[in-house]
Amino acid sequence: MESGGRGAGRRPAAGAAITRPRHGDLVANVVEFCRLLRRRGLSVGPQEAADALRALAGIDLADRRDTYLALRAVLASGQDAQRIFDEVFWEFWGARRERGRLQTPGADSTLSMDGQQVLDRVLLEWQDEAEDAGEGERVPAYSPVEMLTRKDFSAFSADELNEIAAVVAAIARKVATRLSRRTRQARRGHLVDLRRTMRGSLRRGGEILEILRRERKLQKTRIVLLCDVSGSMDLYSRFLIQFVYALQHAVSRVETFVFSTGLHRITGALAHEDLRAALDEIARRVPDWSGGTKIGRSLRRFLTDYGAQTLDGRTVVVIVSDGWDTGEGDVLETAMAELQRRAAKVIWLNPLLASPGYEPICQGMRVALPYVDVFAPAHNVESLRRLERYLARTP
Amino acid sequence: MHPEISRIQELLAGQGYVADRAIATSVYLSIALRKPLLIEGAAGVGKTEVAKVMARALGADLIRLQCYEGLDATTALYEWNYQKQLLHIRLSEGGDRSVEEREAEIFSEGFLLKRPLLDAITRETAPVLLVDEIDRADSEFEAFLLEVLSDFQVSIPEIGTITAKTTPHVVLTSNRTRELGDALRRRCLYLWIDYPTFEKELEIVRRRVPHVNGHLAEQIGAFMQMVRRIRLEKIPGVAETLDWSAALMALHRDHLDREAVEETLGVLFKHQDDATLVRTQWLDALLDGVATLGREGRPWSQEVVARVADRLQARR
Repeated sequence: MESGGRGAGRRPAAGAAITRPRHGDLVANVVEFCRLLRRRGLSVGPQEAADALRALAGIDLADRRDTYLALRAVLASGQDAQRIFDEVFWEFWGARRERGRLQTPGADSTLSMDGQQVLDRVLLEWQDEAEDAGEGERVPAYSPVEMLTRKDFSAFSADELNEIAAVVAAIARKVATRLSRRTRQARRGHLVDLRRTMRGSLRRGGEILEILRRERKLQKTRIVLLCDVSGSMDLYSRFLIQFVYALQHAVSRVETFVFSTGLHRITGALAHEDLRAALDEIARRVPDWSGGTKIGRSLRRFLTDYGAQTLDGRTVVVIVSDGWDTGEGDVLETAMAELQRRAAKVIWLNPLLASPGYEPICQGMRVALPYVDVFAPAHNVESLRRLERYLARTP
Repeated sequence: MHPEISRIQELLAGQGYVADRAIATSVYLSIALRKPLLIEGAAGVGKTEVAKVMARALGADLIRLQCYEGLDATTALYEWNYQKQLLHIRLSEGGDRSVEEREAEIFSEGFLLKRPLLDAITRETAPVLLVDEIDRADSEFEAFLLEVLSDFQVSIPEIGTITAKTTPHVVLTSNRTRELGDALRRRCLYLWIDYPTFEKELEIVRRRVPHVNGHLAEQIGAFMQMVRRIRLEKIPGVAETLDWSAALMALHRDHLDREAVEETLGVLFKHQDDATLVRTQWLDALLDGVATLGREGRPWSQEVVARVADRLQARR
């Protein structure tokens, strides 16, 4: 797994602000470690830090593997999270690997505390750190390469954002309603609410005169968004990210991925309330931003790693790409075929489609087209507005 | 290793479950911290088994809640016993009690049907609560479950709040057909169970299929490592390995050959397409791989098996 590389090859650049365990204080170190995880996008807060300390109090700290497994069980709450955890763990604690032992002083004291005491201690530490350093300045460098390729999104104008947000909210409303699969129970009509029926009957001496029913639940269409952020798509990336971001917030079930040479799930990063924070997060997570494109390989990776949990008969897959694939055509073709089979609908948005005289002649686009249900441009707000109809009309 | 963790590992082993260290550590922490354990992994890697074995090892009861789409609070928590209520109303007809009194009577604990969640928090001794395939329930149910798991108390409008006597050991499993909410994940310890290594799977077969021929068990283990490299609709898990081993035993096979495999393909592959694909395109290569391994020194290791499997994969 590309992102699973252990710390050794990722020494930070000179002067970069990578934080290392301080001597002596387990609580401080665990808190710092947790803050580091949080900056990498894991949902770890004081409560988790306190749990981590409680977990460490229950194991043998001299045993590095137990320590690693214990912290991982508490702090990394998913497979993606585990990959990030692995990197951060070896980066942070790796400096002491040769000694085979984490900082022990302080461990005994947390052992004797109850949950609330540990949490109080952690909160204190958590706050101290924030005041000392000012969250922003201490964001650690990840790697020199990533520093170079990280993009600055600060040029977004507020007007643009507002307009996009409004349109996409409208899109989302349209997409919304589709009766849930539970309406298969239609042969039984609506669900009978026995509880209310019974209550009603009491008033009539136990005679059931009226059968009360429960409402059906509504289930929204799922959307999976796959955004190309390779070099050839660079011009549009700003635009697309805004689109992705707004969509994420307007519909309940959206999974968002970006790809170039590799695939990255950014759903979690987009969940930030603050757009700026979300974009920072994405820039940090996508090291090969504006690199080449391996569409086929990226789609295959998506199918393998995320297909089972994201695709079903009510999923609309939206791919945003110009179709310039530097990978092998047959990989793309089989991936597209599988995508079409497993999803309700595949929509391909190509910003170039708006250019006069554009023909989808590039290899990747030609291979993919037969498996696409809707092929549309996505170069401005107007084209997004039109997109609304395709998304709304689920099969 | 921490003595408690090795004790858990032994306890699990004693119950016929081969647990690696990550599994043992997670189970230990879940018990020690009293936090629910969320287990994810492909189908058939033994997620559910962890809860069952944990219950046996702790000497606790196992309460299982199987999730499905549309599962709601009444099925998971409690339901009123309507038949009994109706009957009671009939029997008490003609009495001089008011509607309110009669209502209070039939909405009392005696008329309550405890479903798994309520059952789990009202036991005298802490049971193991298995919430199986939580990804199949919808997100509303997930939110509801989160609430129960946070407070370990349940409000029933007609009766009041029932608070847990003991905190159950909770194990949740997910096949990842749906991404679970962050809130639930944060509430739980997390464990990812992968397909087993060759050594682990061999150990599992030896423990779970009594009297299995050692040579056959090795071949089965190696075959499984290779089969899982093929792109299939449904990759066979450990459950399939065990079924297959049992099937081969029942047919009195002591080694893998074409006939033996073809006869038993249906046990291993649950999709017709997969069975066809393997029979027509992969069987020679797989048997070849087993034969190649046969020329290697014993015992085979994950490394050796993986090397042969890599070559097999490269050939395609």
